[in-house]
Formats: sequence, C-alpha cells, structure tokens
Amino acid sequence: MSQTGQIPVGPFHPLLEEAEYFNIVVDGETVIDIELDIGWMHRGHEFISEQKTFTQSIYLVERICGICSTSHPLACVHAIEDIDNIEIPERAAYIRTLIGELERIHSHLLWFGLAGHFIGYDTVWMWMWKYREPVLQLFEIISGNRNHYGMMRVGGVAKDVDPARIPEMMNVLDMIDEKMQMLAKVANDDPVLRSRLKGVGVLKHEDAVALCAVGPTARASGVDIDVRRDDPTDAYGLVDFNVPVLHNGDVYDKFVIRVLETLESTKICRQCLEKLKKVPGPILNNVKEIGEGEGIGRYEAPRGEVFHYIRSDGSNRPVRHKVRAPSYVNIPTYVASCKGIPLADALITLASVDPCYCCTERSLKVVDKNRDPFTVDLLKLSREKTEAIRRQIHGR
Amino acid sequence: MAEVPDFFQAMAGKIGRTIHKKRRHYFEVQNENLHEVVTYLFKTMGCRLSTATATEVYRGIEVLYHFSHDPTGTYYCPRVLMTDREKPQMNSITPIVPGAEWIEREMSELLGIEFIGHPKKVPLLSRNNPDFPDKPLRIRRTT
Repeated sequence: MSQTGQIPVGPFHPLLEEAEYFNIVVDGETVIDIELDIGWMHRGHEFISEQKTFTQSIYLVERICGICSTSHPLACVHAIEDIDNIEIPERAAYIRTLIGELERIHSHLLWFGLAGHFIGYDTVWMWMWKYREPVLQLFEIISGNRNHYGMMRVGGVAKDVDPARIPEMMNVLDMIDEKMQMLAKVANDDPVLRSRLKGVGVLKHEDAVALCAVGPTARASGVDIDVRRDDPTDAYGLVDFNVPVLHNGDVYDKFVIRVLETLESTKICRQCLEKLKKVPGPILNNVKEIGEGEGIGRYEAPRGEVFHYIRSDGSNRPVRHKVRAPSYVNIPTYVASCKGIPLADALITLASVDPCYCCTERSLKVVDKNRDPFTVDLLKLSREKTEAIRRQIHGR
Repeated sequence: MAEVPDFFQAMAGKIGRTIHKKRRHYFEVQNENLHEVVTYLFKTMGCRLSTATATEVYRGIEVLYHFSHDPTGTYYCPRVLMTDREKPQMNSITPIVPGAEWIEREMSELLGIEFIGHPKKVPLLSRNNPDFPDKPLRIRRTT
C-alpha cells in the first residue's frame, strides 16, 4: 500500500494521540468499508504481570490507561479477591465505589469535550474540560494524586476519606449536576446539534449483540447490560441507581446516554459520601496470602466492562493474568456502524465509542473503491458539515 | 430465564470436570462438543463472550472462554485442552460468535494455536512487523 494519503488526524490529535490505524474505503463521499489494524502498542502487560507479586500487579495495571486508572486496578483486585472469596470492609466498599464513579464523571466530561470539538462546537470542548478540572481536584483531595490514584489493595483501599472534606466534595457534585442539566438542554434544543448527531453511525441491536459490545456503546443500542447492577461488587448492591438504556444506536443516543450516566454517577457519589460520614473503619482487611485457584474480576469502566482473569498456584504472584479492556470489543463495531455513512460523519462515529487508544493507534488513510489513496482532513470535513447545517437552519 | 441447572442438564455428557464457585462455573469441554456448548450458551441462553484466555499448562495448551450471563451475573467458562504442544488445533467459535474474531487471532499469534474454521486467519497484533517471528510469541519462553 502506498504511503501517500496519510491525513493529519494523527499523533498530535487530542483523541488519536496514541497508535491506531483505520483504513477507510470510500465511494465518492460514502464510506463503503473500514479496515481495522491494531497492534501498534503491544506493551506486554499480561506477561510482565506474571513476573510481579499480586500487589505489584495492581500498580502495573493501573498504568494500562491514563483515563481508566481505577477501572483496571478495581477489576484486578476483584479477580484476586474472587480466588479466595475475600471480603472487604463496608467503609472500603463505599470508598471504592466513590472513586469509580468520580472516574466515570471525569471520563464522560472529557468525551463530551472531544465530541464537541470534532463537530465544531469548541465552546463545549472548553467548558467541559473546565468542569472536569474540579473533579480531578477531588481525586487529589482523596488520594493525593490527580491520576493513578494508587488506592486499590486486595482486601480494601489504601487511604481513607476525610469526613471534614465531604461538604466541598458535595459542592463539586452540585456544580456537575447543574452543568449536565445545561448540556442536556443544549442537546435537546439545539437543532444543529440534533441534525449533526441524530441517525448518524447507527449500531443495530443485533450487531451489538453479535460483536459482544459493552458499555454505553451497547446500551445505546438497546442491550441492557451493566456490570454494576448485574454482578454487583463493592457498594453497588447498597446504593440506589438506574441504568439508562436507549434504542436507536446512533451517535445522539450515545451522547444522551453519557449525560444520563453522569447524572446517575453524581447520585451514587452523594450516597457514598453520606455513608462515609457515618460508617466507621477499618478500610483494609489484612490478607496474608492468596490460595491456589482462578478468579474473574470485572468492573463497569466508563467505556464498558473491564475484564481480568487471574490464575494462582498458591505462590505470591499470578501464573496467568488476562486483561481485556472495553475498547477491544467496542472498536470492531465501527465496521457495522460506519458502512454507508457520509465521510464527514465518520470521525464523530468513530469517536462515539470513546475508544481508548491505549488498547488500540495513530494515523488514518482513505482509499477510494479502486484502492487509490487520496488525502482528506476528516476533522475539517466534519466541522464544515456542522457549519453548513448551521447556515441552512439559521440562514447565516 | 435459563438457570444454572438447566445448562448443566442440557449439556450433560458433553461437559467434563467442573469447578463451581459463587457465580463462576469452569468446565472442561472436548473439542468436538465445543460448538454445541457454545451455541447453547450464546444463542439459547443469550450469554455474551467477554473474552478468552489461552495458557500453557502442565498438560498442554488450554483455551478458556469466558461467557457472561448478564441477567444473573454468572460466568460460564468452557475449557478446551490441547495436548499436542507442537501443533495445537481446535475448532473456532467465530462462525457462531462473531465477537470472538480478534481474540482467537490473538491467541493464535501468542501460542500458535490453529483455529479451524476461523474466517480471517491473519495475525492481529504483529501483521505489520517487518521482522515477523517464526515461532509463536509466548511459547518461546518455555522452549
């Protein structure tokens, strides 16, 4: 394949800053096929984990992803605890759930910003990233770190939440709720946004089931799954929350479902913080050894189910550690959702899955149906389409 | 809703040694029975394939599929063992579960397993590597 036709949605793009490669085949302006090519970032985490102790493995998997830096360690400790049916103290369960839900809020806010940027709403981008900042500061209050919190331990958590700081955390949650209501109103009222997202990049229910999609990608296509409700761990069995499910499978539904999920997450965080005012410690059970056996751990990350499988031979390190991130099963859904759509919609359709490129690449090449490469700037094309719709609707 | 006993009753005679844990069931399946068991899990019970794990074990090479039954939060994990380390072969489940395409390609690359009936037998991770290794990636650590 010729090296010409590389387009600048590349290493410097906020979303595609890591290595990923998609080959889009177009007929005129219509996408007729998409070839996915991964393996540019094979980091050998599973192999490295087998050289580490169980405790070191938790720190290792925390570094698989910068955004999901709680989901992987949570799924990992769930897998280790599953081997020996290890229980954790109630206070630790609430702290784990609080951290997990705060991560979902900041991850969804990050996605709203990027989605806005891709379709020419740069104000949304700047606002959302501004509102995300106080959430990161909450992590700093709780764990001392804005990212890679180092909170998870087998049998509990590493650090306690200071009850004196709870009121200021509640204030941040109130602010997030208010801004999410505003975003929901914008999504509902703005005709340009609706035209740009409604009916775009539809993933049919049967395709989502066949490709085993997870998370908001699956729930926007009517697949009613959520690990937090279906296989509750930590405090998810003790708090009240809903799992929003929509049925159109388009980018608009994926947008709306994330707004609704963020509101549910703030609800869960409030319940956890109220409990943390009253529920006494400890926060960690003393686990001295892990027996022989195998365990499965999973957690509903912002992008869907994170899966860890650990096999132990009774020593202090895993003999097999399998990791599967949600993007690994969600990215193959591109083929089903991109076929037949205009090229200008391809970028937002790809972004709607919220792909985590730690799992998956870098550049994007477009070829026509005769396999001749040509160059196109997808970001520019996407933003021009929004502008054309805006002029058509507002007459200016 | 298909419950746990229904599955094990329906598949009686096709399932070998089983380990039951709380909401986790690991069981051995012979290669010739794999399609029937997977069809029952995926199509009859509506399970979702989370992923699969290939491991080198004392007896040979093992592939463990992880099917999640989401309405009950239960995992059903069929285990297939291949004793021929030099040329491990087993049936592919991708024709039944399209979502298994990537993970079977990855397992094939890492441990040299041939998945019979897989629709796209090309490496997933190392396709673009100009110096493609002549042996499976993982098996080299024990040979």
